[in-house]
Amino acid sequence: MLMLGIILLTTSMQRGDHVRSTPYVLDYPAYFGGRFTIPVDNQMTQEIVSLGRMLFYETKLSKSNQISCASCHQQKLAFTDGKQFSVGEGGSLTRRNSMSLANLLWVRSLFWDGRVGSLEEQAIFPLTDPHEMGQSMNEAIEKLNHTTNYPVLFKFAFGTSEITTARITKAIAQFERTLISSDSRYDKYLKGEYLPTEQELRGLNLFMSRPRPEDNVRGANCGHCHGTPKLFKELFHNNGLDIIAQDMGRMEITGQEIDRGRFRVPTLRNIALTSPYMHDGRFNGLEEVLDHYNEHIQQSETLSPFISEATNAINGKSLLLTDTEKTDILAFLHMLTDSTFINNPEFSDPHEKYVQP
Amino acid sequence: MTKSFYNLALLLSISFTVSMAQTIQKPFFTVTGEVLNPLKLTAVDLARLHTVQVNTTDRDGKPHIYTGVKLSEVLDSAGVTLGKELNGENLAKYILVMAADGYEVIFSLPEVDPEFNDQQIIIAYQVDGNPLPNGEGPFRMVVPDEKRLARWIREVTNIKVIFSKE
Repeated sequence: MLMLGIILLTTSMQRGDHVRSTPYVLDYPAYFGGRFTIPVDNQMTQEIVSLGRMLFYETKLSKSNQISCASCHQQKLAFTDGKQFSVGEGGSLTRRNSMSLANLLWVRSLFWDGRVGSLEEQAIFPLTDPHEMGQSMNEAIEKLNHTTNYPVLFKFAFGTSEITTARITKAIAQFERTLISSDSRYDKYLKGEYLPTEQELRGLNLFMSRPRPEDNVRGANCGHCHGTPKLFKELFHNNGLDIIAQDMGRMEITGQEIDRGRFRVPTLRNIALTSPYMHDGRFNGLEEVLDHYNEHIQQSETLSPFISEATNAINGKSLLLTDTEKTDILAFLHMLTDSTFINNPEFSDPHEKYVQP
Repeated sequence: MTKSFYNLALLLSISFTVSMAQTIQKPFFTVTGEVLNPLKLTAVDLARLHTVQVNTTDRDGKPHIYTGVKLSEVLDSAGVTLGKELNGENLAKYILVMAADGYEVIFSLPEVDPEFNDQQIIIAYQVDGNPLPNGEGPFRMVVPDEKRLARWIREVTNIKVIFSKE
């Protein structure tokens, strides 16, 4: 890393400038739409994105120097960690399941409870939470100031070598905005480059359709919340996990009784890679998730009507999908795995390259 | 010892219940954005406005009587530019209505303003004389003249008036 820093510094000095701002152009398919906001004071540049990537994989941002953002958000698992709850400082566990970071550019309310509205604000929470990276921002800044590379990288990114909380979170946010997943088989199908199998097509239709038994239309109604090519809508629902919710979810943020047990609707992109599932990681496999929606919905006052009303039989009380239909939907869910995304070298750990042999 | 422990546990559980109760508020929705007086309205506040009833058909295909207040009166009481003030740049404002689940729909001001339009868009709190059911209420937008009911937004939590910045 020191080598890179020196090379970058030399290049910059030769050019006689201190801030190298090469605009970073976000590349995404038109079917995702443009409903996102990049803060005016954090316009994207390649220099800030690459600093953000360094910080994302930087263990010095944790109290023990052992945990980075990437510990709980691993690229090979679509930026999750495969655990029910993540392990933070001192072996303590987080309260909720680690969320995938794919396509956060379009997410307007972050965390399972939607408590913050920007990635810049979001980053502070895991950095300082005693159950996650557990370090004050002052300590983090102090550690980065004592490295040889970071003051230089901050200078390239922001014009001066000053390291501040705002600059750290801005850089991490910019890197996260680049984590776009848009090359799954489903994307190739949307672009007309892949012909799905019959089973995948049946699964897709069931996934996206609202059941209308009176018209002989079968459906799983998943698309009501996980529809659109982004495979999520900006919604919060109580999806019938418990009769009495142990975790109040969104109600903790809004103070409204109607939000009891409501949680964010996450994207289903790369869903086959992000087990276990739900805010508390209670389901290990996608089969269990489908069984939940099909057979085990728990009634409560705040249960989403879009779940309780969906049925494939006239006057039916549950979804009533057949085993074959569930298998079809599973086939569609596996179409959402994006191997380009999880292998993209631009998203990988930049520190590994500079480890001495 | 056992008794004092029990008492302590009881005390803790009572104080926990009380503190939970304090964080849960009476259901409300807010009116914010380009308004002179931002509002936070509960059912009690709505009862102070003019009650209107609308006879219309819901998704179930059956006729229902919805009771509520006119959206225009709520906006008026928040100081939104309606009536004589709805001209010039004010015509570039729109209303974003948000639900608890994050669902959002927009209306334009002329759609709501009685000087432009006779349709009665209401914020309903009762159907056929009963409170709206869970998942629909306590507050729901009813747009009687519309053929698709996608803007009959359930569980309304925020009405925001916004200037188009384009």
